[in-house]
Amino acid sequence: MKSPAQVQELAAWLAATDIGLLELRTPDGLLRLGRSGAPGSEIVQLGTQEEGAPPAPPECVAVAPSVGVFLHAHPLHAAPLARPGERVSAGQPVGVVKIGPLLLPVPAPEAGVPIAFLVPDGQPVGWGTPLIELQAEE
Amino acid sequence: MSRRAAPKAAPKANSTAAEGGGAPREGSAPSVSLLGTTALLFEAPGELALASQQRIWSLARETQAWPEVREAVPGMNNLMLTFERPPRSAEALYALEARLQAAWDAALPLPLEGRVVELPVVYGGEGGPHMADVVAHTGLSVDEIVELHSTPVYPVYALGSHPGYCYLGGMDPRIATPRRKVPVLSIPGGAVSIGGAQTGVSASAGPSGWNTIGSTTMSFFDPAQDPPAKLQPGDMIRFRVQGVIR
Amino acid sequence: MIEVLSSAALATVQDQGRKGSLRWGVGTAGAMDNLALAAGNLLLGNDANAAAVEVPVFPFKLRFDADCAFALTGADCAARLDEAPLLPWWVHQAHAGQTLTLGLPQGGAQRGSRAMLCLAGGVDVPEVLGSRSTQLRGAFGGHEGRALRRGDVLRAVGEGQSCRTGFGLVPPGLSLPLQVDGVPAVRVLPAAEYPGFEEASRAAFWAGEWKITAQSDRYGYRLDGEALRPIAPMEMRSHGIVPGVIQVPHSGQPIIQMRDAQPSGGYPKFGTVIEADLWRLGQAPIGSRIRFIECSWDEAVAAQDEVEAWLDRVRRMVDLHRSSPRPGGR
Repeated sequence: MKSPAQVQELAAWLAATDIGLLELRTPDGLLRLGRSGAPGSEIVQLGTQEEGAPPAPPECVAVAPSVGVFLHAHPLHAAPLARPGERVSAGQPVGVVKIGPLLLPVPAPEAGVPIAFLVPDGQPVGWGTPLIELQAEE
Repeated sequence: MSRRAAPKAAPKANSTAAEGGGAPREGSAPSVSLLGTTALLFEAPGELALASQQRIWSLARETQAWPEVREAVPGMNNLMLTFERPPRSAEALYALEARLQAAWDAALPLPLEGRVVELPVVYGGEGGPHMADVVAHTGLSVDEIVELHSTPVYPVYALGSHPGYCYLGGMDPRIATPRRKVPVLSIPGGAVSIGGAQTGVSASAGPSGWNTIGSTTMSFFDPAQDPPAKLQPGDMIRFRVQGVIR
Repeated sequence: MIEVLSSAALATVQDQGRKGSLRWGVGTAGAMDNLALAAGNLLLGNDANAAAVEVPVFPFKLRFDADCAFALTGADCAARLDEAPLLPWWVHQAHAGQTLTLGLPQGGAQRGSRAMLCLAGGVDVPEVLGSRSTQLRGAFGGHEGRALRRGDVLRAVGEGQSCRTGFGLVPPGLSLPLQVDGVPAVRVLPAAEYPGFEEASRAAFWAGEWKITAQSDRYGYRLDGEALRPIAPMEMRSHGIVPGVIQVPHSGQPIIQMRDAQPSGGYPKFGTVIEADLWRLGQAPIGSRIRFIECSWDEAVAAQDEVEAWLDRVRRMVDLHRSSPRPGGR
C-alpha cells in the first residue's frame, strides 16, 4: 500500500483535474481515489469493492484448441453440438475448429451448462480464444 | 479435333471407333479407344483367327514392359492396357496410341503352344438348360450341336470374365448363338456355354449372358498357386462327350 | 479382436483393390468409396491401402473384445459406441467390451450409402494375389472370400496399441462438390461404341437424370432412364473392361460396371465414368438420381490430380496433428 503522504499527493493532483476516478493496481493491492459526490467535490479514498461491479466471470470457458474457423456444428449436421441451457459432460465437444480439411473438437473443460456463445459460427479464431462460457456444475 | 471427343489413333481410312458413324471395326484398321483414364482398348480388325490372336499375344508381351502400362490384358482379338499412371496430357496420350499402332504393325505372331487339356462334358439336361435355345437359333439337332462343339481342339485365346475363365477360339460358326437378352443370375462352375461366336467354361458360380449347353468338372483356378490359373494363352481344350441328355 | 454381431449385412473386407491379376480373369474388387477408405486410414496413421470393413447395409453392429482405435468415414450413419453418439468422419478409441452400432445413413444432400470402418493398423487378413480385398466370385481374399456374418471375428493389426484419436475431417463430399442443377454428377469419357448410338440417345444421356435402381450393387449399378438406342445392332467380341464402364445391353438401360464387375465383357460401351469420380458413385444411394458430365482427357486427368491433392492435404494436416503435443490433461 502506498504511504499516506503519497496518497495525499495523488489526491491533491487528482483534485486539480476533471478525473472522477483513479484506480491504481499495484503488487500490494488496489488503490482507488474518487470524488465524494458530484464533479468538483472532495477527493476521497474509495473502498476496493465497487458498487455495481460486474459479477465474477464464469469459472468455465471452452477455448479454441487451435487457430482455425470455429463451427457450432459438425459440417455434416444442421444441429449445433451444444445449446445454451443444455447440460454437457466434461470433455464433450461443444463445437469444432476447422483448419483446412482437419476438424478438432472444442471440449467442455468441465461438466456444466453452456450459457453464452462468445464467437459466431464460421468466425476465424486463434489458439486459446474463449468460445463458449459454461456454468460449471458443483 | 474437339476437346470432348474420345482421343483416337492417327487418322486412317475406315478409321477408329471414336470417329463418327456406324459399327466399329469396319474395314482394315485397328481401333484404339479409352476406358476412362484407367485403360486403353486396342481392337484388331478382321476375322477372329488364331494367327491374329498370336499377334495380340506378341503385342501384350511387348507392351507389358512399357512404363505407362500396369497390365496388358489380351481379349478376343483385342488388348486392354491398364495405366500405371494415365498419360498427363492429350498429346502424351496420342503419342502412346501412335506407339501402340506401330507396335501392332510390327507384331509377329507369337506361336505359344501349351498343353491339351481334355474336359469330359455331359451335354443337355439340367447342366445344359439353354440347349433348346441353341437348337432353335441354329436349326440343328442336339446331336449335331454336340458333334460340332466337341470335335475341335480349342486354343485358349485369353483369360477374363472371372478367375481362371478361358476365352476359347475355334468354335464352329454353325453353332453360334447370340448372347441372351436377359442374363441368368447364376450358372455354376463347370458350365459349358456359347455366347455369339465364342464358347467357354465357367470356372465358378456367377451370372452369365451366354447359352449353357452342358457341364464339366475341373478346377481352373487356385489363388495359392503361381500362376493361379490352371490354363493360359497357348493351351488348348478338347471337350470329350461323356453323355448327352436329350 | 472384433466380433460381428449383425447378420446379412453384406459387409466385406476391402482395400484399394487387387491390381495386376486381370490377365487371369481376376477383377480389382476394392472399396466402392476409395476416398473414404484412404481418409479413414490416414486418420489412424495407417497406410492408405490398409484393409477396412465396407458396410453397405444398416444397421450394423460389432463388439470390440480388445482396445482398438478406429475411424468411421463414408456415409454418416448416426454411429454409437455403447450409448455415446459418435461424430462422423472421425477417429475414435474403443475399449474392450464396447459395442459399435452403425445406424441408418442420415438424410440430406450428403446422404451416402456405404460406411467404411477402418481399424488401427488395418484389418488383419492375409494378402491374396497382392491384395486384402474380398473376391466374391471365386471366394478368396478378404475374410474367407465372403461377406461377414454374425460370429465372425476379425483382428486389427494395431489393436491394443496407443493411437491419437478424437479428431476428424471435413468430408470430400463437401470439399469437392460436383452437381448439375442440384443433382449429384459424375464425369464420363465417351467409349468406343459411343458414335454407334443415335444422336437423340447421346443427347438424352447427358441431359437426363438417371435413377439408380434397386438392382444395383458392387457388381454394377443398373440405371433407369431413357433407353439408349444403337444406330445398328452391335455384337461385340469379349474385351477387357474396368470399373466405371457404362454398358448398354439390348434393353437400352445402361449398367455402370462397379468394383466387383467382371474384368471383361461383350456389351456395347457408351462411356466410362472417370476414375476420379468413382467414389461419388460408390456413395450414391439406391433410388437416388445422378447426372453425367461429358469431359475431356485433360479434365479427367485434372480431376484425378484434384483428388490426390485433397488426400495430400489431409495426410499433411493429420500427420501434423498426430505428432503435435497433446493438450494438458487430455
